[in-house]
Amino acid sequence: MASIFRLWGLYARMDLLWMVRNPRIGLMWYVCDALVNVSAIAGMLLLAERFAGVGRWSRPQLIFMLGYATLTSGIVESMFGYNVAYISRRLGRGQFDHVLIQPRPVWLTLLTEGFIPFSASGTLVAGGALLVWAGARLAVPASGGWWGLFVLNLLASVVVMVSFAFLWGSLAFWAPRAAEEVSGSALHLLERLKSFPLDGIAPALAGGLLTLVPAGFIAWYPCRSLLGVGRPAWHVAVTPLAALSLSALATVAFRLGMRQHARTGSQRYSGFAHRA
Amino acid sequence: MTATGAVGDSPLFLLDYLLRFARVALMLSIWRTLLAGRGAVSGMTLSTVLTYALIAEVFADLLACRTNVEGAFWDGSIGSRFLRPVGIFAQFAAEAGGRWGLNFLLFSVPLLAAAPLLGVNPLPAGPAAAVWFVLSLLLGVSVGLAIEFSFGALAVLFQLNVYAINRVREAVGALLSGAVIPLTLLPWGLGIVFDWLPFASVASAPLRIYTATGNPLRLVPLQLLWSLLLWPVARRLWRASQERMVVYGG
Repeated sequence: MASIFRLWGLYARMDLLWMVRNPRIGLMWYVCDALVNVSAIAGMLLLAERFAGVGRWSRPQLIFMLGYATLTSGIVESMFGYNVAYISRRLGRGQFDHVLIQPRPVWLTLLTEGFIPFSASGTLVAGGALLVWAGARLAVPASGGWWGLFVLNLLASVVVMVSFAFLWGSLAFWAPRAAEEVSGSALHLLERLKSFPLDGIAPALAGGLLTLVPAGFIAWYPCRSLLGVGRPAWHVAVTPLAALSLSALATVAFRLGMRQHARTGSQRYSGFAHRA
Repeated sequence: MTATGAVGDSPLFLLDYLLRFARVALMLSIWRTLLAGRGAVSGMTLSTVLTYALIAEVFADLLACRTNVEGAFWDGSIGSRFLRPVGIFAQFAAEAGGRWGLNFLLFSVPLLAAAPLLGVNPLPAGPAAAVWFVLSLLLGVSVGLAIEFSFGALAVLFQLNVYAINRVREAVGALLSGAVIPLTLLPWGLGIVFDWLPFASVASAPLRIYTATGNPLRLVPLQLLWSLLLWPVARRLWRASQERMVVYGG
């Protein structure tokens, strides 16, 4: 644990230095990131305002869901930046060897190297603000138990997102050129679908969005359970269980890929965007 | 060339089609939830909105008007493009057209064929609407390309990161253009304001004409006006930033 915090501190300082080295560039990235993430949910926000909610979701409930989705994205960005979440880019460009030669476990490197809390804070702030606004208008229980479940589900949603990217990204061990951008496409898929409430859609589509493409676990399902929108209370455990299952699958796939990498090595190398 | 390249270089375009289909299915479901039993809202019935959403996805590439200009800045190939015996704007437009044609063939046509299964009427409001739609779409592409090239030149002129500008433009443009949500359905009268912006001329205008929720005699001249205003601006910006484009080398 001490190593994790020490490394997070190191990378956080590096991130801050990057931002203040050229404030204009840092501010531009900060504003662009915030704008992009708010725009991703703006459509649903505006619809909620116009129609005072969507289906069984009231306006504050929907805004809570959108804030949750934004916060999940913000945590993924701030914890797994520098192409850690987009792992297929590192694998496809032969940059994974940079991770392997370091004198620490691979999991520690991947958990810490992408820590960019300052440059990704725009998204965190936007998500937090929406949650605070919505929480003030909802009868959110002030109990420690509810907040514990909230944090657990939030972390589970983060794990779902990262695991999905790593599961698909592992393909790059076998097809480094063709699959270089597959993590990007996988995350793009989740990002574009995360803000939709899935009530009332065709069961097959809803099932697909909770299994094959688990966008439903990024915000809709956990918020549904936390806010009690039409589900029994025990459903609050489903997202953490989904996260466990998906992370186990991703771990197996990644380990198999690493064995393949040990046999074949990197057939191509490009330093492009390695901590650029 | 770009059409075949899009298939050969990366099989991930299939994931993109999956995303697009999931997105349109979700939007249709959302609209049904929002508008069922309400009658006409701001002049748009449920049936109209469903057609609007479907056609917006069918013609998504033309209504977004994205080219590879940012990629050319990023990798520095912009310099060699100026040496080709074809106009720079024509090059990017033609390459984008190849990609759009492939997507139309592989995704949009099947989506149109599947419209009855999705419970959506894909047909235009009438023969006149169809004719005006074609004209409006062409003008929309013209305005969209002018905006695309203007943004690219501005990014170089002000030394902004083209990737960041690209992301912002994509995100904000989708909302302002009315491609995702019809502008008339936005709250606080936002749609009235956005309607006059050039982004609305790219997507909202042709879609409203297709669904007969907009007057072509007002929308088409507005599109023409934006086209006439923006192309000289785009040319001027490119002339002003041409030296930087070539010198920076990506």
